[in-house]
Amino acid sequence: MRIGFPHAGNVYIPIRTALQELGVDFVVPPPTSKRTLDLATKYSPEGVCLPFKLTLGNLIESCELGADTLLQAQGFGVCRLGYYARGQEGILHDMGYNIEMVKFSVSEGNKLLGFMRVFKRISGNASWPKIIMTLRFGLSKLNAVDELESLTHKIRPREEKRGETNQVFKEATLAIENAASHSEVIRLRREYTKRLQSIPQRKDADPLKVGIVGEIFVVLEPFSNLDVERELGKLGVEVVRTLSYSRWVKYSLFLNPLGVDEWREVHKKAWPYLKRDIGGDGWESVGEKVLHSRDWDGMVHLAPFTCLPEIVAQNIMSHTREDLPVLTILCDEQMGRAGMITRLEAFADLLKRRRTKLRSEGLLRN
Amino acid sequence: MVKVGIPRALLYYEYYPMWRAFFDALGAELVVSESTTKDVAASGVARVTAETCFPVKIFMGHVISLIGKCDFIFVPAVRSMEEKVHNCSKFLGLPDMTRAVIPECPPLLEVDIDMEKKRELYSSVYALGRHFTWNPLKVRRAAKLALQSHGEYKARMVREGKTPSEVLEGKSEQRDGSSSVALVGHPYLLYDDYVNHRLISRLEGQGVIVLTPEMVSQADMKQATHELAGGSYWTYEDEVIGAGGYYIKKGVVDGVISVMAFGCGPDSVMMHILDRYARRERRPYTCLTLDEHTAEAGLATRVEAFIDMVRKRR
Repeated sequence: MRIGFPHAGNVYIPIRTALQELGVDFVVPPPTSKRTLDLATKYSPEGVCLPFKLTLGNLIESCELGADTLLQAQGFGVCRLGYYARGQEGILHDMGYNIEMVKFSVSEGNKLLGFMRVFKRISGNASWPKIIMTLRFGLSKLNAVDELESLTHKIRPREEKRGETNQVFKEATLAIENAASHSEVIRLRREYTKRLQSIPQRKDADPLKVGIVGEIFVVLEPFSNLDVERELGKLGVEVVRTLSYSRWVKYSLFLNPLGVDEWREVHKKAWPYLKRDIGGDGWESVGEKVLHSRDWDGMVHLAPFTCLPEIVAQNIMSHTREDLPVLTILCDEQMGRAGMITRLEAFADLLKRRRTKLRSEGLLRN
Repeated sequence: MVKVGIPRALLYYEYYPMWRAFFDALGAELVVSESTTKDVAASGVARVTAETCFPVKIFMGHVISLIGKCDFIFVPAVRSMEEKVHNCSKFLGLPDMTRAVIPECPPLLEVDIDMEKKRELYSSVYALGRHFTWNPLKVRRAAKLALQSHGEYKARMVREGKTPSEVLEGKSEQRDGSSSVALVGHPYLLYDDYVNHRLISRLEGQGVIVLTPEMVSQADMKQATHELAGGSYWTYEDEVIGAGGYYIKKGVVDGVISVMAFGCGPDSVMMHILDRYARRERRPYTCLTLDEHTAEAGLATRVEAFIDMVRKRR
């Protein structure tokens, strides 16, 4: 039995760590690339969304490396996610791969227990304490990387030498990924926080503040959104993003079952315009716009092409009373980097002018 | 009398008899918008973002055409019709979206249909009835009548082999021809002659008997869905996978044509399942994708070619 799994941003870090610690035979599929996308578009249904295609591509590449047991998320949402595991299993069988799909729920029931059961099953019945320890270790790495990444959002637009932040962050990711113990992760986290903070910054920098919202997969997978965060950073824009996998884990797996609702404020803000959960991250996208209309300069809304919830959100978003410029970028396999950069540049110009105008009228908080 | 506007789009074809019975019993007058025209479509397309699917654009056009003709517009939010089977986000957010993109529209009559939350469903239906009466028993009676006429409507179509447009609009369709084709897809695509460029009469004009999902019994559709996809995932999966699977498996038709809207999320995966099944069973199958740019000539060519192929194969 050899385990394979799809990529989704930096989710591979905790999964890889957990599988390694449990002594399971596994492969990490090559980072999502043009080849992954080509393979995926060849075998996927034509009109399906980009996350389905990319994760299928990863699974095909895992199979090529000899994986025969694949992990994939499923659930009953109001979006196609619930169909991913089922559909991809069928496609892989049609391609001639004799694989088994291990599905774990990300939307219903006790998700934490579900995850632990999956790991128990694929590890050949490891003891519960062992599973809890390895998951904790894996998640501490995820938390460390996510924390450093949100720090880079602040530093990148202010750095003196372009690209320095990216360099340090790349080193940090690699080091944390390969850390051997929990204490080492903590040490690395502290060390790289200091290193990021000591990157020379321009004193006169006055970056725009732009929020990133949308469908979680395309927001967190740099390949699918063509590195929108870094491109914005290059343009001198500070990115703010609420979504991250460590936050998802923290709330969905641990705190939501205890009755904590991290989106309460956001949903309340969305209420006048959208009264119902429409699945995916649509409700949150609308709420974030209303909530941050005074403290962000603009918002980038990312969604896969034909995404069900985000299209509803997009339609509603442009009609809220609270004014905040929104750039919706729909991600699919036809997207080109040059086109996107042009749109981002134009958006940043617009935001700069708007801010100057609002400041002169004294209407802006920052 | 209070006038309630019903857009002739989306769920109209599936539930109109139900809605009519409900509002009739509560003493409201129904105003149904006219059939889709170019102007209706254009006014809808102008309001929503380009990525939105064509049927929703058409729906918005119908809502706009009802402005000034009624006191309320009925826009239900259908979340699920059975447990663990959900609907597309566009149906869920329909009232919110309508309000956002058409701010000048009359007040909306909203009702949340979610079979997973029975208690909230009752209060939601009562809240809808409150617009017309204070008597909960009257609302209850209206709801019962509504369910009853929905059942009759569905049963009649299966029994008599009729399409919604025959029952609702009194059209009559020919039942003789040299070959037969099953047309599967959502009712708002199959029975809106503007959207599908008169697909049914086009097929009949070529001497083809057209069978539709409404002519298959609920049990047969459920079984076929189960065989093909391991049970429903989407609310209106039966009328696509269930009906399509049934017609392909039974072999009572010479070919199957499925119709989907461009960019439709649920259909993008359902048509793929159907496509793979038809391939496995070696049955003629084609999928027509419709949107506001679909040209009539292109569609006609594809349909004619498919019919030719089906006839040659026999």
